[in-house]
Amino acid sequence: MHFDPTIPFKYWDALLIGLGTSLRLTLICLAIGIALGFVTSQARQSRLLPVRAVATFYVELFRGTPVLIQLFWIFYCLPMLIGAEPGNFISAVLSLSLYAGAITSETFRAALKSIPREQYDTCRALGITGLRLAIWVVLPQALLRAIPTLLSNAVALFKESALISAVGMADLMFIGSSIANRTGRPVEMLTAVAIIYFTVAFPLTRIVGRIEARILRRLAV
Amino acid sequence: MRPRLFPWRKATETMVQNKLLKIHNLHKSYGDLEIFKGLSLAMDRGDRLVIIGPSGGGKSTLLRIVMGLEDIVGGDVYLDGKPYILRDGGKTKIDHKLQARVGMVFQHYTLFPHLDILRNLTLAPVKTRGTPRAEAEAKAMALLDRFGLAAKARSYPSQLSGGQKQRVAIARALMLDPDLLLFDEVTSALDPELVAEVEAVMMELADQGMPMMIVTHDMHFARNIASRVVFAAGGVVVEDGPPEQVLDNPQVARTREFVERVFARKK
Ligand SMILES: Nc1ncnc2c1ncn2[C@@H]1O[C@H](COP(=O)(O)OP(=O)(O)OP(=O)(O)O)[C@@H](O)[C@H]1O
Ligand SMILES: [Mg+2]
Repeated sequence: MHFDPTIPFKYWDALLIGLGTSLRLTLICLAIGIALGFVTSQARQSRLLPVRAVATFYVELFRGTPVLIQLFWIFYCLPMLIGAEPGNFISAVLSLSLYAGAITSETFRAALKSIPREQYDTCRALGITGLRLAIWVVLPQALLRAIPTLLSNAVALFKESALISAVGMADLMFIGSSIANRTGRPVEMLTAVAIIYFTVAFPLTRIVGRIEARILRRLAV
Repeated sequence: MRPRLFPWRKATETMVQNKLLKIHNLHKSYGDLEIFKGLSLAMDRGDRLVIIGPSGGGKSTLLRIVMGLEDIVGGDVYLDGKPYILRDGGKTKIDHKLQARVGMVFQHYTLFPHLDILRNLTLAPVKTRGTPRAEAEAKAMALLDRFGLAAKARSYPSQLSGGQKQRVAIARALMLDPDLLLFDEVTSALDPELVAEVEAVMMELADQGMPMMIVTHDMHFARNIASRVVFAAGGVVVEDGPPEQVLDNPQVARTREFVERVFARKK
């Protein structure tokens, strides 16, 4: 059997649908993950020990274990815990969001830490305190500093999302490997899938570098 | 005059009357390190106080205390005759209404990097004082114009030189109409050729009678701008007088030693 590069093109429509699912899932989980990550980064600085402990445990657990196992935990253990089948879409969203929340919380923590002390002193001298300080000074600067890393997080999440095929979500990976099995053409199909992932991820990683340089120039005061 | 509600407090009130700022028996430590050991200092409305002293002697700390940024260990601070900072029940109490009447400019400008120059100026008045944006912007533009920065209103801090940034920082502090402005080595981080433009702005404020407390290592500038020079060392005020006295003809041996050393280094 020869390597036949034309095979994947016969299934371009199915692959496209798979890519759509992967992208949709990535974006949903990224949005939830960023919100969760921000809240978690705040919780980790809480004055209340239990809040801090729970947040830290969550982050370290999800950063320190394979995403595939997290997915299985949620997929198999959650139904036992709540006594209902959440369905594979909800399970996939839940696990990837929790993972995204854990990694982005670290991004936010680093960004918050990188705001110089003098900014806080200056604000107090200007009477900008409490919620106003958070909304108008801390948050915008932290977000600006976090953007490059958040974009890298997004690329990582997009690639990790391939794992949800393991629980039967019809994403790009799942459709690619199903066709590979059915046609007996794994090399052609999986190479095509890899190229599609690369085509989406590569430009994003390049953009990250540019945006980072621009933001650093802006923040260099 | 307003009728007095508490006639028996008359004595203390007269004592601090007319003083813009009065620091009485100030004590401050960082851990075991004692910075102030009963420092007292008063300032009139027409005063421009330059504070000199050895490095690590607590000049920055003093300004930070007057700005309300530091806890104190003991003593009290009056602004305009009213108790501003004091110890009460083992805690430092700061009157935030009075704090709003003091402004400060820091060594490293600390502009808001995410906002353009105009927004740097209007943020505090619009968000904390409820000044209408149009009014704040008009005032900001007038200040920027006065400091030769009108063309930079829509630039970001990273696009400005150090001297321009420091002038913006001064304008930002002026937006809140402070009764007292504190300057902590505001030209120390600048390239030598940019120092003059910042000092010129400060001289202009001085000419308009703005009360200022200035920490600087530039003795020439100190002599020009000060109405009084305070030499602080060892946690107290060692000598306090007009610049001709403290800088040229110090009465206390310790001051003389310090001033001679500083001028010797200059040459
Ligand atoms: N937050 C802090 N925690 C502990 N020690 C501090 C703190 N801030 C200042 N100090 C110490 O207090 C002392 C006084 O510091 P300060 O900055 O007020 O001195 P300074 O007179 O302004 O010195 P310089 O001329 O070098 O600016 C120094 O020994 C400094 O190390
Ligand atoms: Mg200092």
